[in-house]
Amino acid sequence: MTRELQVENELGIHARPAQHIVKIASRYKADFFIVKDGHRINGKSILGVLMLAAEQGSTVLLEADGEGATDLLDELEQLFQDRFYES
Amino acid sequence: MDSSKQLSVRQFFEEEAGELRLTLLSDPMELGREIPQKNLHRPGLALAGYLELFTHDRIQVLGNTEISYLRSLSADQCRLAFERVFGLEIPCLVITNSNEPVPPMMELAAAAGVPVFQSELSTTELYHLLSDYLDDFFAPTETRHASLVDVYGTGLLLTGKSGIGKSEVALDLVERGHRLVADDVVIVTRKADRILMGQGNDLLQHMMEIRGLGILDVRQIYGIHAVRMQKRVEMIVELCLWEERGSIDRTGLDQETATILGLELPLIRLPIFPGKNITVICETLALNHHLKVYGYDSSQELNRRLLKTMEDRRRLRSYLRRDPE
Repeated sequence: MTRELQVENELGIHARPAQHIVKIASRYKADFFIVKDGHRINGKSILGVLMLAAEQGSTVLLEADGEGATDLLDELEQLFQDRFYES
Repeated sequence: MDSSKQLSVRQFFEEEAGELRLTLLSDPMELGREIPQKNLHRPGLALAGYLELFTHDRIQVLGNTEISYLRSLSADQCRLAFERVFGLEIPCLVITNSNEPVPPMMELAAAAGVPVFQSELSTTELYHLLSDYLDDFFAPTETRHASLVDVYGTGLLLTGKSGIGKSEVALDLVERGHRLVADDVVIVTRKADRILMGQGNDLLQHMMEIRGLGILDVRQIYGIHAVRMQKRVEMIVELCLWEERGSIDRTGLDQETATILGLELPLIRLPIFPGKNITVICETLALNHHLKVYGYDSSQELNRRLLKTMEDRRRLRSYLRRDPE
């Protein structure tokens, strides 16, 4: 199950947004990966998420598989829409 | 302030006579009074007759100024001055600079039951040392169920539920060359309202209980270099079970804190599980704390790099979008 999302907040996925993503992902049993620019990283790893350096305007592909995968993607989609609670 | 602490003039004299170079001028039987608080007072204005706001419940210090003023008075005026001052309950009087008491003073002090000391020190020196002693004595303390270890010079207070392995971690740290301050019972004292000092109980000293082994004397087993008497508490490490971890900080950007005796300290909650080496984590915590003290914060540094990378990419992206070629 995949979903493509765009990063909309001004600063991109820096440490704080990354922490939000990892915290949400860690609550689910489903396997979770993020793909960007040919990198596929484990979405439950903070350093992995940071490494993507997903700037404003870039798109990332979320892959979730297993228990709660849909809920996880829904929750993350909301987080992206909320611009990680930033401007 | 800990109101349960009682300091009698006798105890004060016995403990500090040497340090403060005190001589007792009064009858040794008159040392029963209590010193109720840590502050000092010079009763210049009170001797001159102004008794409003006279903080009589402090140790009263007579310096050169007071003595020289008293000497300038007639015998009757001097008597009146002391009658006014001794009309209120005073713990004791200390005359500095080895000055001799003025004539009616000792007689009136004896009648009022106020002990009088003479010190060889100057008023400034006496103030300094005496404040230090009283601050220490009246410092608020609290007993914590924890272990305190000096790890690379940082005082780590290991807390957590009984049986979670605080002592084992402390023992492991000692084994790796760090120094035990206290295990199981740590007495924390707030010094100068700024720092927290931790030490062990006099009886227990550096005894430790390891489940399955019983009581161990760390100083005897590992030697004197494995222990120290007291250490400033700089960080709290709370060991918790993985199931009870709650929300764990993944970046280190959000520093949690905990409060001991009204002072905030960084709190690190460490969930434990098999294969996780808490000792090495504690050492790293201590070293990282030093780095932060020196102005380097790893998580902020990484974030700074990251923000720069993303800003560069964003600039490039918007340039390419507007470029018709």
